[in-house]
Amino acid sequence: MAQITHLTCPLCGRDHRPVRLAPGEVAHCTQCETVLAKGQRGGTEAPLVFCVTGLVLALPACFLPFVGAGKLGAERVSTLFTGVGALWDNDMRALALLVLLCGGLLPIALLATLASLQMPDRFASHLANPGSLARIARTLELCAIPEVQVLAVLVALMKLGSVVNVTIGPGFWFYCAMSLCLILAQRGFNFRALGGGPAAAGKQP
Amino acid sequence: MSRRWFNLSFRGSSAATALAIAAAVMLVPANLLPVLSTETSGSFRSDTIFSGAVELWRHDLGAIAVIVFTASIIIPILKLAGLGWLIFSVRQGAPRNERRLTRIYSAIEFIGRWSMLDVFLAAFLTGLVQFGELSMVEARSGIVAFAAAVVLTVLATQAFDPRAIWVGSADASPVPPSR
Repeated sequence: MAQITHLTCPLCGRDHRPVRLAPGEVAHCTQCETVLAKGQRGGTEAPLVFCVTGLVLALPACFLPFVGAGKLGAERVSTLFTGVGALWDNDMRALALLVLLCGGLLPIALLATLASLQMPDRFASHLANPGSLARIARTLELCAIPEVQVLAVLVALMKLGSVVNVTIGPGFWFYCAMSLCLILAQRGFNFRALGGGPAAAGKQP
Repeated sequence: MSRRWFNLSFRGSSAATALAIAAAVMLVPANLLPVLSTETSGSFRSDTIFSGAVELWRHDLGAIAVIVFTASIIIPILKLAGLGWLIFSVRQGAPRNERRLTRIYSAIEFIGRWSMLDVFLAAFLTGLVQFGELSMVEARSGIVAFAAAVVLTVLATQAFDPRAIWVGSADASPVPPSR
């Protein structure tokens, strides 16, 4: 993992010297009081574990049935990408791409990027510029929003309850678990403050 | 350093202003045009974002109605208002309440993603409810305008450089983070 020589607050630009943080300890910017870093509770490798778990869960989440619906004998099963296909067929292609990226592809890409950043040095020696990867992760973080998709599906299920018979498929549960892993993995990173470096403040002596 | 920040803030706030105005313009058709049409056993209805939330409320789904109303109507408006305040403060020069403005920026950045709820909802319903004459849901043009407004708001937030809030009061000397 990359070595950090200084932390720059992304919100006010103030430079800080990295310090080692105890688990649960929080470092604030001295100027704007933004949280710069948090000491990791689950050990330094916890984010990597969550990333790898999330990537494993992503596969069934993408291909197993998401939600089934039935009405008067007619049955229909949707997967994660069924809505994307329907929008595409409805000539709303930009919208279909947006949904595909924000709810499907970018969360997986973010998990993969975070996993790359947290790889132990012996596996990650080929990463020439982890700073660029951290910036990519920061950009992906803005667009990868599986938790919003989960909330949308829950809202839809409540809405559909009176119209059709709805059954939740295993794909949805895998997707929920993947979203949770992504959130937990993100909590272990401090790329907001690092502006390029991947590690946490607690890792620097 | 301060000169670079000045240039950065000028460019950033101009781009942010343009994108925020574009987002505000897109919110008009997003709220006036129907976002979803539903056909159930011969009866047809077309809903805007607001009428959809009202319909949920009428069906005793008050909590869901509040979630949809908040994510699709309140949050986009609050985001644009907050962003407008930030841009105005920076353009006025050397704002006095830097910490509060920075917190507002953080909040805007955090809540922005939840506006995508209606877009995902429309995509999901359109994909699932396809039962021919029994029941059909179709996304309508309003949802495209709404998605454009959300994307433009996110871009406006990113175009705004929060460091510009601190121009004039920032001291870049390296100090350890406080705990």
